[in-house]
Amino acid sequence: MGVALRDIVVRIQHTALSHAVSESNHLVIAGLQVLHVFGFLLLLASLTLMSLRLLGLVLTEHTVPRVVREPARLMRAGLTLAVTSGVLIFLSGPEHYYDNGAFDVKMLLLLAALTVQATLYRRVAAAEHASPILARATATVSLLLWFGVGIAGRAIGFV
Amino acid sequence: MSVLTELAERLQDSQIGDAIAESRYLFPIFEGTHLLSLSFSVGLIILTDLRLMGLILRHVPVTEVLRQLRPYALGGFVVVFLSGGLVFWSEAATVMASPLWTIKMVLVALGGLNALYFELVIAKRADLDGNPEVLPRSVKCAGLASMSIWMLVIICGRLLAYIPRWGG
Repeated sequence: MGVALRDIVVRIQHTALSHAVSESNHLVIAGLQVLHVFGFLLLLASLTLMSLRLLGLVLTEHTVPRVVREPARLMRAGLTLAVTSGVLIFLSGPEHYYDNGAFDVKMLLLLAALTVQATLYRRVAAAEHASPILARATATVSLLLWFGVGIAGRAIGFV
Repeated sequence: MSVLTELAERLQDSQIGDAIAESRYLFPIFEGTHLLSLSFSVGLIILTDLRLMGLILRHVPVTEVLRQLRPYALGGFVVVFLSGGLVFWSEAATVMASPLWTIKMVLVALGGLNALYFELVIAKRADLDGNPEVLPRSVKCAGLASMSIWMLVIICGRLLAYIPRWGG
């Protein structure tokens, strides 16, 4: 499977879009990096606010569903921005990223974080009276996974 | 400027500055911490700004949002400043060569002053405990100013590596 995946990456590298991004002005890549950081920080900040509520640390006089409704939307907007810019950054050097160990870790953590977000987190955040223990555990796991994505992402530049 | 440059060079060439720059782990750890703690500091501030502008959490009184998020935002800022200081120690002269560093520091100072002015003047003068759905213009403007300033700080920070010199 490793070989097949690598073949795909090499093919992506030879697409017109990949060529266009990799040959663009270095300020285009810089702009994409700015958007990537913006998107990811919006995602993390919204997640932090929602999680602080699930942990019972802030705004406890308001129900969870009311507090998380708008931050959840902001988090999705941040995710969209981060993924879109991230895909374009990846296209600037598919093989370079594919061969980077930290990139693999980042993608695995991203997959795990998205799975938790779409299943457990969504259900707990929609409940008026979720079990406090479940709410705290979900918030903690989700925070660890998403901050892990960020750490692995930052590590890409240093590996 | 030349006195500052000289000081920056001494800082960067100091034992600690050298140790951070040369270490395989210290520099990435400090830089990563600097970036990710922005989600608590600048991130929670921007969410508060959105509340001040009446765009999110309209049913929650502004004073409640300010009071309850403040300790986490301030804690985030402590970590951002400490980790940022350590990163700066190892590359002071290098980053000061970029125009973006100066702009970033001016903006950080503006962001701090804006927050102080809001807390000490605008928030005291405005009726924040009244109807949470209706906010005075001054409060909305403070939120917009704060959000704009901090977003520009992040842009400058991320672009530092891409624009290393004046005119280049």
